[in-house]
Amino acid sequence: MSQVADVPTEQVGDSSYDGLRLRGVSKTYPNGFTAVDTLDLDVPRGSFIALLGPSGCGKTTTLRMVAGLETPTSGEIRLAGDDITYAKPYKRPVNTVFQNYALFPHLDIFENVAFGLKRRKVKDVEAQVREMLALVELDSQARKKPTQLSGGQQQRVALARALINRPEVLLLDEPLGALDLKLRRSMQIEIKRIQTEVGLTFVHVTHDQEEAMTMADTVAVMNAGVIEQLGAPEELYENPRSTFVANFLGQSNLIEGTVVSRGSDVTSVDMHGIGVSVPTGRTHTDGEKGWIGIRPEKVLIGEEGEALDAPGNTIPGGVVTDVSFNGVSTQYLVRMPWGQELAVFAQNTGRTRIFRRGDRVELSWRPEYAFLLDFSQDASAGAQKGD
Amino acid sequence: MLQGVGAVAFLGASAAALKLPFFGTDGFEQDPASCRATDLSASQMKLIVSNWPSYIDADEDPSTLSIFEERTGIAVDYSDDVNDNAEFYAKVRNQLGSCTSIDRDLVMLTDWMAARFISLGWTQPYDKANVPNLHANLIDPLRNRQWDPDLEFHAPWQTGLTGIAYNASKTGEVRSFEELLTRADLRGRVTLLSEMRDTMAFLLKITGANPDDFTDDQWGVAIERLREVVASGQIRAFTGNDYTQDLAAGNILACEAWSGDVIQLQADNPDIKFVVPEEGLSLWSDNMLIPNQATHQANAEKWIDYYYEPAVAAQLAAWVNYICPVKGAQEEMEKIDPDLASNPLIFPDDDMLANTFDFMPLDAKQSNEYEGDWANVTGG
Amino acid sequence: MAEMTRRRGRTGYLLLLPAFLTLLVFFVLPFYSLIATSLYDPSGSDVEGFEMTYHFSNYWDAISDYSGPLFRSLVYGGVATLLCLVLGYVLAYAMAFKAGRWKYLLLVLVIAPFFTSFLVRTLSWKLILADDGFVVNTLQFLQILGDDGRLLATPVAVIAGLVYNFLPFMILPLFASLDRIDPRLIEASSDLYAHPFVGFFKVTWPLSLPGVVSGTLLTFIPAVGDYINAQLLGSTGQRMIGSVIQSQFVEANNYPAAAALSTMLMIVILAMVLVYVRRAGTEELL
Repeated sequence: MSQVADVPTEQVGDSSYDGLRLRGVSKTYPNGFTAVDTLDLDVPRGSFIALLGPSGCGKTTTLRMVAGLETPTSGEIRLAGDDITYAKPYKRPVNTVFQNYALFPHLDIFENVAFGLKRRKVKDVEAQVREMLALVELDSQARKKPTQLSGGQQQRVALARALINRPEVLLLDEPLGALDLKLRRSMQIEIKRIQTEVGLTFVHVTHDQEEAMTMADTVAVMNAGVIEQLGAPEELYENPRSTFVANFLGQSNLIEGTVVSRGSDVTSVDMHGIGVSVPTGRTHTDGEKGWIGIRPEKVLIGEEGEALDAPGNTIPGGVVTDVSFNGVSTQYLVRMPWGQELAVFAQNTGRTRIFRRGDRVELSWRPEYAFLLDFSQDASAGAQKGD
Repeated sequence: MLQGVGAVAFLGASAAALKLPFFGTDGFEQDPASCRATDLSASQMKLIVSNWPSYIDADEDPSTLSIFEERTGIAVDYSDDVNDNAEFYAKVRNQLGSCTSIDRDLVMLTDWMAARFISLGWTQPYDKANVPNLHANLIDPLRNRQWDPDLEFHAPWQTGLTGIAYNASKTGEVRSFEELLTRADLRGRVTLLSEMRDTMAFLLKITGANPDDFTDDQWGVAIERLREVVASGQIRAFTGNDYTQDLAAGNILACEAWSGDVIQLQADNPDIKFVVPEEGLSLWSDNMLIPNQATHQANAEKWIDYYYEPAVAAQLAAWVNYICPVKGAQEEMEKIDPDLASNPLIFPDDDMLANTFDFMPLDAKQSNEYEGDWANVTGG
Repeated sequence: MAEMTRRRGRTGYLLLLPAFLTLLVFFVLPFYSLIATSLYDPSGSDVEGFEMTYHFSNYWDAISDYSGPLFRSLVYGGVATLLCLVLGYVLAYAMAFKAGRWKYLLLVLVIAPFFTSFLVRTLSWKLILADDGFVVNTLQFLQILGDDGRLLATPVAVIAGLVYNFLPFMILPLFASLDRIDPRLIEASSDLYAHPFVGFFKVTWPLSLPGVVSGTLLTFIPAVGDYINAQLLGSTGQRMIGSVIQSQFVEANNYPAAAALSTMLMIVILAMVLVYVRRAGTEELL
């Protein structure tokens, strides 16, 4: 299931690639647990990639193997052509922003940031540290100890401490996990700004899908030690290839359907007696049956018998079972004739009225928004409970 | 490890118990006549005894102790909590010095400490009529001590010799104290006893003084001699009775030793020999004292008189192996163990006893001064 | 409102009372009487009593008579503390970072010797270091020790005994402070180009300083005052100040000298501790 991003198949160990390349990397712990399973990944130089997945999916282990803090059981890791699979962590041009920052409590901010430069006996430490502190807007705090700073400031120190070394790859391990929501948003923008400014390769590990999509150029969704799907955030969101991705990134309605015919442009599917079509490029199964997927905000809702502004088929017989109005939009749950409840997000444009529980409605969607997934996959995989 | 701190705390507490402000302390002398408790012996068949470890046959069945209890109906509360004369003194000094009870009816202390207790007025006299066996049976060399010539306050429990022990498998015979201090082949493999009087008696003898009666100048000569010997590296350490281990292990070749220890060592290692030094024989005793405010004086006297019966004394001597201070015990011992009866370290003959000496009693000031000199020399 | 605060204030003092009384009874009074005793006229005795003459020269006499044992005690205590630190650090480090699930078992083993008597443990060293024993024979075979060389009754034996007896006092605080170090800090130093060796001196060591300071104090202070090791394992040339105080007090009954020596020992140690803590700069860390 692992994928290689927009790179034609190249042979393992090719040293001409100047980014970060993982080939067949596995990590099995002595207790038999396989955290990462034969993983392939290419991270082009200068890009910002997010490893996204639930806890235990292997994203942190992958990051630690790149940092050199764990040794792969098998496989190869190359950076700018050099094999670094077994290189000591202190010899890799890779730096990490740790979860909870791991700032040295006995050193002040200046010394924390200068730590890497001093170990490498770089000249002109003072000026570089000043410059870096200015970049993260902490110039005035240089002589404070980490515990005297707020969470957001500590976070920026951790970032500065890693960035100042101008690593080939900067690894960020859930860097914003300890911050409150508002601070997290502004830090997301800040980190993105800094990345653009310095032009380094960033690998960001997170379980927060919104954070991943906001910040990264490329998102790799990981599950059970493998990459489920890799691509640009919009692509992942609009055209998920597995039920896990469809559910983990945002929310999806997945409806059972039987493939009727496969044309060159569209696949025709019978959905509980209603014919629907899915573009070939969004059809991700060869089987007889499949899950027809549609994002709630792509579903249109209207009065029974009303002509909806959509070229697809109308699906009649829905009954509204739940309404939650939140200003910008309204979220409905609609019970369909086959018993399934579908989620619908309707913009409050004023063109249609807001329905109430018990109203009979018709649903519809544009065929180009639908996708078709492998029926053997669990329809609830990756769904975030309580989300 | 906390002894140092403990000593300091004890020192503090003891002084604090007396007078708080920056005043001095009174002397500790007491009058036994006014520090006498009412004797409860008639109503309480009880006796509290403090003795040195391994100094009674209590584990035997029957033991002299169990026979005493059976015969008299007195329940004896016996503990072996005397480990060191000076330490015991430090422990009870505040109570006895202020005429309060130490909750004991009988304690066993070595001659010099017994002398100090008696001179401080800390012990009760015996009723002569209650201890006829003591007066009849105490062996002659132990009579007429300067500090209690009429046996008013003390009765020897056991007696010992201070002499020389050596390991015959590792070195030749050591005949005199002089040899112990000078023989080159013993250099660094000799220990002396850390009890000042035991060792200094021999040093005084060697330097031509009489330990029973010497002057400050003679003391000065003797201590100077010891200082030279220590500086020469001849002496490995000054020890309590832990010299037995070193002798058995071969860490030392010869040492100043107590007779009873050596007899016990010989049982395991026949190569260990005890020698009466040419300089003479130092004879000492541990003595039974009734401290002030003891409440069972009559019971204590019964105990003393009981242990001066020759048969009882022989039974005890067969177990503890020290010199038996009781006349007639040798004959009784023939019945128990003829070998022991002829052992001169338990029943010394008259020739041996002819050449004994004692250490003269010191007043408090002399004692402090000499002990101070001694500590400085032995501590390097 | 004022009434309220006043009452609360009074409760606070009431709560302090037990601690205050304990301190008064177990520290202030003994210390006061120690100082008083140290100023008695040394010509007194238990028979005549001791007169308070503010005899400050007790101190000068003590210094001039016993500067040897005092200096020796500081040296032995210092060497033993240093050896304890080296041995203890290695052990505590292994326990904190490498022992995994054996960590607490090892901790129990470190404390285990305390279940037997201090005296017995020290005496058993006499067997280990005996002249005909395994250790001496091995050293003689290796030509490290001469044929008639020995360990017992030498400074080596005394210091070995001190190290052995006080090692747990070093290990426990070291372990406590090493165990508290977040292993991610060590990863971070490695990630920031520090060789493990450099990382140790730049991160682990400074973070363990509180443990180092309390461990060295807990070892040094009792080691300097100890006299059992010197008495059992040493010779006449190894006498330490604790044993001088003991013999002055118990044997010579020279209480003023013993008290003056005790007070002086306290002052010397206190001064050294203050300088040390200041130099180690631990106020900031604590």
